[in-house]
Amino acid sequence: MSIIKTNDVKKWFGDFQALKGISMEVQEGEVLVICGPSGSGKSTFIRCINRLEQHQEGEIIVDGIELTNDLKNIEAIRSEVGMVFQSFNLFPHLTVMQNITLAPIWVRKKSRSESEEKAMELLTRVGIPEQASKFPGQLSGGQQQRVAIARALAMEPKIMLFDEPTSALDPEMIKEVLDAMKELALSGMTMIVVTHEMGFAKEVADRVMLFDEGLMVEENTPTEFFDNPQNDRTKLFLSQIL
Amino acid sequence: MNLEYKKSIAWMRENLFSSIPSSILTVATSFFVLGFFRGLFGFAMASDKDWLSVLNNMQLYMVQAYPEEDFIRVWISVGLALVFAGTSIGLWKSTEESSLSDVFSKFMKVSLAFLFFTVVAPTFSSVTDNDGIIQTEESFPMETRLQLLIPSAILVVVFFVLKNLKLNYKFNKSDLLCFYLAIPIVLLWIIKLPTIQLDSSNQRIIPDPLMPIADTTKIPWTIIFGLFLAFYFIGSRFKDSKNMKRTMSISWVLLPLFIFSWIFKKPEIDLPTILGQDIPIFIGIFLVGALTITFINNPIVEKYFSIYLGVLIAITGIALFISIPILLKSALLLLVLFTIVIPAVSSSAKGKRNLIIVWGVSLFTLSVLIRGGSSDTQIIVQQQSIFGGFSLTWLLAIFGTYVSFPLGVLLALGRNSKLPIVRLVCTGIIELTRSVPYITWLFFASVTMAVFLPEGVNFELVVRVLMVTAFFSGAYFAENIRGGLQSIPKGQYEAADAIGMSPFQKTSLIVMPQALRAIIPTLVSSAITAFKDSSLVTIIGLIDFLTIGKVIIGTQSIPVNFVGHDRENLLFIAFFYWIFTFTLSRRSMKVEKRLGLGER
Ligand SMILES: Nc1ncnc2c1ncn2[C@@H]1O[C@H](COP(=O)(O)OP(=O)(O)O)[C@@H](O)[C@H]1O
Ligand SMILES: [Mg+2]
Repeated sequence: MSIIKTNDVKKWFGDFQALKGISMEVQEGEVLVICGPSGSGKSTFIRCINRLEQHQEGEIIVDGIELTNDLKNIEAIRSEVGMVFQSFNLFPHLTVMQNITLAPIWVRKKSRSESEEKAMELLTRVGIPEQASKFPGQLSGGQQQRVAIARALAMEPKIMLFDEPTSALDPEMIKEVLDAMKELALSGMTMIVVTHEMGFAKEVADRVMLFDEGLMVEENTPTEFFDNPQNDRTKLFLSQIL
Repeated sequence: MNLEYKKSIAWMRENLFSSIPSSILTVATSFFVLGFFRGLFGFAMASDKDWLSVLNNMQLYMVQAYPEEDFIRVWISVGLALVFAGTSIGLWKSTEESSLSDVFSKFMKVSLAFLFFTVVAPTFSSVTDNDGIIQTEESFPMETRLQLLIPSAILVVVFFVLKNLKLNYKFNKSDLLCFYLAIPIVLLWIIKLPTIQLDSSNQRIIPDPLMPIADTTKIPWTIIFGLFLAFYFIGSRFKDSKNMKRTMSISWVLLPLFIFSWIFKKPEIDLPTILGQDIPIFIGIFLVGALTITFINNPIVEKYFSIYLGVLIAITGIALFISIPILLKSALLLLVLFTIVIPAVSSSAKGKRNLIIVWGVSLFTLSVLIRGGSSDTQIIVQQQSIFGGFSLTWLLAIFGTYVSFPLGVLLALGRNSKLPIVRLVCTGIIELTRSVPYITWLFFASVTMAVFLPEGVNFELVVRVLMVTAFFSGAYFAENIRGGLQSIPKGQYEAADAIGMSPFQKTSLIVMPQALRAIIPTLVSSAITAFKDSSLVTIIGLIDFLTIGKVIIGTQSIPVNFVGHDRENLLFIAFFYWIFTFTLSRRSMKVEKRLGLGER
């Protein structure tokens, strides 16, 4: 059963058309990697899935709920979909523990002790249980991004969106974040990952897509995508990046 | 010690005399500073200055014409504030420690200051005699200087040696604070001050005799300090309790309201009205709120919720303009506010139970405050207001900030709102208020405002001034806060959205805390400005701290003639203001440092 389904999604910023009709489906438990040159609309597309951006034409259905202007639907979808940003976007005035328990306590209305227990579990899972009482500013980039992953997971989402999670990191920290993501993928989470980490795509992805100028130009299994690209633009992109 | 000496020489060479211009600058500055202090000390010690005009009028400075038989109310207010302070210092007890050396080094600095005074003070100062001719006189003879110089030099040396013994006893910083506060209290019992005495023909007896400080001052202070200590210890017992800390924070917010409605006034407590009016209103409104909270998630209720809210707002709107008990009006307003936030906060059974408790407690507090505040004060003073002197300054500063700050938050949020009408109204209020000078607003309050108020509604002048002050500084706060809001990166909003927070939660938990933190220095300087600007109320006839010194004491001739002694009073007032603002800005620097931990 497909958990995300989009149909001919179009999006304009003023006169500029960022998405020119994207149709795709993601199955439950699938890991989808989206790559493509800068400015091709990858971020815009995945931000439409949890309504950080509003699409103007076409339809997006997440877990059976269509995204419309109805506030109830938006809230429902946002609590099903976790998101990890390129620039972490942790809350600098709260400790790591507070960052993670904020949503469970205020949005899910769980008790503090239960949320803290769960948060410790998640921190252990991403490998930094000892950092719980620190502030984000006291952590390295890789640690911050893993806290951001734990924060998104604390809402117990069915889907996780990653928008270039490793692009802002120093090379030596990329691996620790990718490892956390791999572990998550193996646990059966549905994931859409915008990334240029081709190693990650080959190893973990079920499918790879290439975006260019607001269009999805190629969609394939990782092996086919890398070894036998169909589209000229894919070939060009791969030659530039590898 | 030799090493330390060498170090300080090296420091001086590096920082004060590193080049020719910097040496010149150092010498010129020292010259200027010394000259300033010589002038100041000479001024203070000249024999034509009568410092008793300050000392003798302390009561006037603090409470002006407030009747003496009601002083107990003032003492209770001060006492309550200090009991709260003691509890808070205990609850948020510092974990830092100071060693005995630090303490001695503080004492050494104080004795150094004294030594500085005895060395720098000029021997001669100029005096204006009765005919207005300026003469020089010897106001600080050499023998006196030597008598003071030797003990203060000895003190400096003793504390210097003690400091350098490097005694390793450690004291908790909060405990030390209590110790320092105890010093002035003990001094109250020891020190004797010159006092004015009149002979049988009402002539001042010269020289003024030395007398201990009056019991009416020192006994209350001692009791209050005792309570302060007791509550400090109680507070430190509970320093791990989050609930106690939360209760204390809310109590601080309520404290000024209680002081104004129950202590500075003399409320009539008549049982029939309380039983027949207050309690039924409380129960009725409480039930409506509690039922709303309980059934909010019921599908049928949910469907008609906006209609219910609309009706409630309409009823409240009408109620404001008909003559019903003020408690009912306020309770209805509170009910509307509460009903608006209910959907955002309650869904689980536990959340609902907590919300009902919060609702009950807030409504109860409201009822108590209104019962105190709505009765006519029975304190009678000659002037039109029971507030004068420092209590007026304090009222304008604290209460002005206290009302204007939340108002500023609301205006700033309103100005950023998506709803055009809200944005328009808030922008209008802010721009209108800021584009007119404060003095004009004061005249508006004293002369024009009555025209704009509905018939029969009439506020005391002080209340009208408070209203314009709240709006005026509120508008400034709003613009500061808006600056803070703009400094929050877009990613913070997106992250909050992405984890499903409601707009209300996003503002109160993510955006506002960061925005306020970013602008603490600006907020403090606004508060300081408000404190100092409060002295402008003198032009509409209110008698504040400054007016007492400059106008009242300067023309005082009964029972003692102080005419013309306004200069020493002005110096005292400047010093008093300086102490307050300086402490405030130092405190805020500490807070900033502590909060800085959370910054990137
Ligand atoms: N808020 C916005 N306003 C105007 N243009 C935007 C906005 N966000 C993105 N764009 C434009 O949309 C295009 C796609 O952007 P984006 O989805 O961020 O690309 P990618 O993530 O693939 O690098 C870019 O040309 C970008 O300039
Ligand atoms: Mg992008």
